[in-house]
Amino acid sequence: MRLGLVLPEGREHELARLAEEHGLFGVLAGSGNPLTAVNAAVYASTATEFARVIVRLHLGLEHPVIIAEELSVLDNVNNGRTVVLADTGELDEEAADDEVAVLREALASRPIQHEGPLWKVPAGLPANVTAPKSISVTPKPVQVEVPFWLTGRAAAAIGARRGLPVLAHSPADVDGAPLLQPARDAITGDLARDRDRLSTWAKAGVTYLLIDLPDGPVGDLMTNISRHLGPEVGMPHFPRVMSDSAVPLPWPGER
Amino acid sequence: MHWGRAYRDLREYAQLMDELGYDELWLSEHHFFYDGYCPALLPAAASVLSVTKNLRVGTGMLLLPMQDPHRLAVVAHDLNTRSGGRLDLGVGMGYRDIEFDGHGISRKQRLPRMLRGLEVLEAEQRAGGATLWMGAQLIDPVKRAGQHGHPILFSAALPVERCRTLAGVWEEGWNETGRSEPKPPLGALRNIWLTEDAEERAAARDWVRASYVQYAGLGWTLPAVGEHAQADFAEETDKAIQATVETTITGSADECVEQLREFEAMGIDHIAFRLMLDGAPRAAIESQIRRLATEVMPRLRAQVGSRA
Repeated sequence: MRLGLVLPEGREHELARLAEEHGLFGVLAGSGNPLTAVNAAVYASTATEFARVIVRLHLGLEHPVIIAEELSVLDNVNNGRTVVLADTGELDEEAADDEVAVLREALASRPIQHEGPLWKVPAGLPANVTAPKSISVTPKPVQVEVPFWLTGRAAAAIGARRGLPVLAHSPADVDGAPLLQPARDAITGDLARDRDRLSTWAKAGVTYLLIDLPDGPVGDLMTNISRHLGPEVGMPHFPRVMSDSAVPLPWPGER
Repeated sequence: MHWGRAYRDLREYAQLMDELGYDELWLSEHHFFYDGYCPALLPAAASVLSVTKNLRVGTGMLLLPMQDPHRLAVVAHDLNTRSGGRLDLGVGMGYRDIEFDGHGISRKQRLPRMLRGLEVLEAEQRAGGATLWMGAQLIDPVKRAGQHGHPILFSAALPVERCRTLAGVWEEGWNETGRSEPKPPLGALRNIWLTEDAEERAAARDWVRASYVQYAGLGWTLPAVGEHAQADFAEETDKAIQATVETTITGSADECVEQLREFEAMGIDHIAFRLMLDGAPRAAIESQIRRLATEVMPRLRAQVGSRA
């Protein structure tokens, strides 16, 4: 199991850099205001070079083609490190499914001609006389296929129908069969309690766990994650002598 | 060029501009175009603002009728706050049927949507949000911008005389309202290439030509205004492009400064150098960014300073 960090709103640039320094696989941006998630993801992207940037998108708040265009720019800004976590929010299953369909079609490398229960793209409105019957969102994402995870009330049904990963919030929700199973949980800062908690997630079959940090200074918490929690769930039978031994001395020169 | 590389270059150019003391960087928008023309300016602006300290970033222009203005206001507010107030929100109407249809908007609705959107963004600006700029090239919207006290950024394709006419129209609109606050700035994009070398000058003019072929592909028309004739890039491609190439400012620093002072004389005190030209290699663009910053900008600033 690999660990990622949930970024608090407004601190994305600073904490994304720290997460990458501590070897986390990725960061989750957009956990604050649902309208400004892409801004948060861009700020996380330019602070990092390798980490995956998971952007929590609330569906139903803007035309999905506008959102697909923003995601595509984001994926070019971070050189193909975007993961979408689509929150179905207040949408019912049919509407959320249609929005997921448009978003995924718009991010694919085939012209869109979509007619669903919620959206028709292009709209084919009579006043737009020179508009063709299909469009292609450009630029295309860097990735061959942008990973698309789901959360929210309608997520389980849509995930089952479309074969998309659904974010687990409890070990009981975890499906250990797929190769990819994301989850989200908070740690407390108490190393013993956090060890137990993360071990439970790993045993349930989670592959990527996004961690919310408790309030307060993050330095020691990040050291706990990179020195203890991450390694301990990163391999079976972790030899704890590795992380319990003294931390190597720092470079005495200018830092 | 790989699109990812283009966005990395954008950040690196912006960092260089920040170091060299440029004031502003402007981004432009189109949709569904083969070359990856940026369709989402605020994420692109965010990428620049997140890696610079002083440089302002403007959307020039974001196509307002295609967006939900309330969402746009929130997103722009967030970005302006994150960047310490360095976002300029330039908005225009758009003109391509496909761009409206792809976003589920009737082109016939573009004016009412634009006006409703402006009301929302004007309220946001009054509440301390990003400064609102306008992109327009017809009499009525330019005059409205003057009446509402909105700065304008004129297209690089406008000949000097048309800029003079429209700057006058904006001024009329501004004067009609008898406002007491400081007059907002006027700006213009300009094709410019500082060089003393005839071969480089010919290459730069050809890069300008090539970059306006895109306008033919987009179906853009510069409409007639008063005595200024229409320039139809789709129907009279060669003529329209050649006329635009002729507006390019080229030559030595002295010659560039002299031509730029024409704009200062008509009250246009923000000049955006249009250097991202089709065919221009990165080394040439970087060289221009440096040369314009060291050989042209200080002389223009001195002029502005001496008038203040």
